[in-house]
Amino acid sequence: MTRPSPFSVRGRRALMIMRDEREIAMLRRQFDRLGMTVTAHDPAAVSPPPGEPVDVIVLDADSVPIKSDSRALWKVDAPIIALIGTETPSRLKWLLDLKPASFLIKPLRSAGLYTALVVALDCAQRRLDEAAHLERLEDRIRSRRVVFAAVLQMMRGHDLSEADAFSLIRQTAMRHRTTIEQLSAEIVAAGGMPHRTSRTA
Amino acid sequence: MKKPSIPLGLVFSQSGPYAMMAGEMQKSALMAIDEINRSPEFDFGFAPCLRDPRGVVAAYHTACDDLIREERVDHIVGCYTSASRKQVIPIVERTERLLWHPARYEGFESSENVIYVGAAPNHTVVPLVRHMLDHISSDVFCIGSNYVWTWETNRVIREIVTSAGGRVLAERLLELGETAIDHIVREVIDRRPPVVFNTLVGESSYAFVRVLHEATTRAGLTIPMLSCSLCEPELKLIGSAASAGCITSSAYFESIAGAENRAFVARWKARHGADSNPSVDGQSTYVCVMLLARAIRRAGSADVAAVRRAAANHRYDSPQGPVWVDPDNNHCFLTPRLARVVPGCQFKIFWEADAPERPDPYLSRLDLAAVGTRLEKSNDAAAKRPTHLRLVK
Repeated sequence: MTRPSPFSVRGRRALMIMRDEREIAMLRRQFDRLGMTVTAHDPAAVSPPPGEPVDVIVLDADSVPIKSDSRALWKVDAPIIALIGTETPSRLKWLLDLKPASFLIKPLRSAGLYTALVVALDCAQRRLDEAAHLERLEDRIRSRRVVFAAVLQMMRGHDLSEADAFSLIRQTAMRHRTTIEQLSAEIVAAGGMPHRTSRTA
Repeated sequence: MKKPSIPLGLVFSQSGPYAMMAGEMQKSALMAIDEINRSPEFDFGFAPCLRDPRGVVAAYHTACDDLIREERVDHIVGCYTSASRKQVIPIVERTERLLWHPARYEGFESSENVIYVGAAPNHTVVPLVRHMLDHISSDVFCIGSNYVWTWETNRVIREIVTSAGGRVLAERLLELGETAIDHIVREVIDRRPPVVFNTLVGESSYAFVRVLHEATTRAGLTIPMLSCSLCEPELKLIGSAASAGCITSSAYFESIAGAENRAFVARWKARHGADSNPSVDGQSTYVCVMLLARAIRRAGSADVAAVRRAAANHRYDSPQGPVWVDPDNNHCFLTPRLARVVPGCQFKIFWEADAPERPDPYLSRLDLAAVGTRLEKSNDAAAKRPTHLRLVK
């Protein structure tokens, strides 16, 4: 699967959580030019925005009281583009908690939105990649005990040194196109090197 | 009876690296202004206020600031490069004035205070790359001047070409104004690419086309060259023999057959001499002034908001054919055309769109799959297979 390029924004969906009608009209115009679909939601509304998935959220930071629990209101995975008018540290601190992917400074102009979108979409993709990478690393840490047990099994069963036992497991895993962790689990379960007929796990 | 005059700012560099093109543009603006001033169809005239930033980017800000404060202009026609336009945009946005921008550019902009009369990338680059893929090759050697127009054009070329299964064989960049091009010509001769895409501008381009022509002639090679910017006055600078054959994408050529263009070319030659030729950017500047005059007439005032509304969707039968402003993005509907340079420094048009094409400054409607009708690989293979040898079993 090829991942979508952050530069191609046509067909993506945006949600505007904004109050100012003039700013909404201006951004709506620019989203139309970019071929995106867009919905608007009043930040003062008690109900959360409609649940349809969106690719990006434009949030007018000035329109939401600092004391409100923002993350509970909009529990979303989509990257946030923050519209910033007030640059006070109290407002910026509230904003940082939302982890904005990019921002635009008011007053809004037609220029800038495309850049903010590209940065936000790229940032969201990187966050996904990093989360997946972290998960893989954590899996490997979790399975360290299993690998150690498998190495011990090989050392005892085949009278190998630790280095040779590990090397045998690594090479077998490569030949069967599986991971060291997966093969180790099978070794521990079978009480020895499992017999495989096919090359795929 | 003397008509009331509306002040009109003209900002074109009369010296510096692109003075030749900006000079053509200023001449064209003044020609349009004279026609409006003499025409009984308009109950007003324009008083041109000229400013010359001499090709210095920072001077554009000062020039426009001065035009707005001192000359009280609501409308400015001018700018050739994107760098200069980006200087002017903050002022016209802050003071709610309109910049009428004649030159084609790389897109990815859409200011409420600019009317973009030059071609958008979907008018120029896209049809040319499509032609290249369908009729020449999907492997291309790119050479261009090291600035935003080339960078973005090359990105579009690469995106379309790779999605069609082709390759960008090389991407060579030269500093603006650089004319030491022998090493790149040598590389082209050595590698013999099926096609060269030239986005060089000014003297660099003229030198490259000349030297490459000499080298290919000496080596007995024919390598097609593509350009999105060459125009008739430049062909003269390059020379008839060297420029012949080059394929160019543009919304305007002097050779367009329509009655409006024949009359325009005749008026141009009467004013500037029989040896003189209008150019794409010059004609576009003329169109800027004409679109503005028609919008003012329709609005009954030069007020910026009223003029912008009056200009929207209002068709003008210009030398290049029907042109109108798309209010969705303030760019113009234009007719893309492809032409081949013939001896005598003229273009012979071999393709044009059926109707004026909607401007797409962000290329948001570009469908890569639809452009990717590439030359059949099997055809290449068939052509290369030696036909006099047969496999005997």
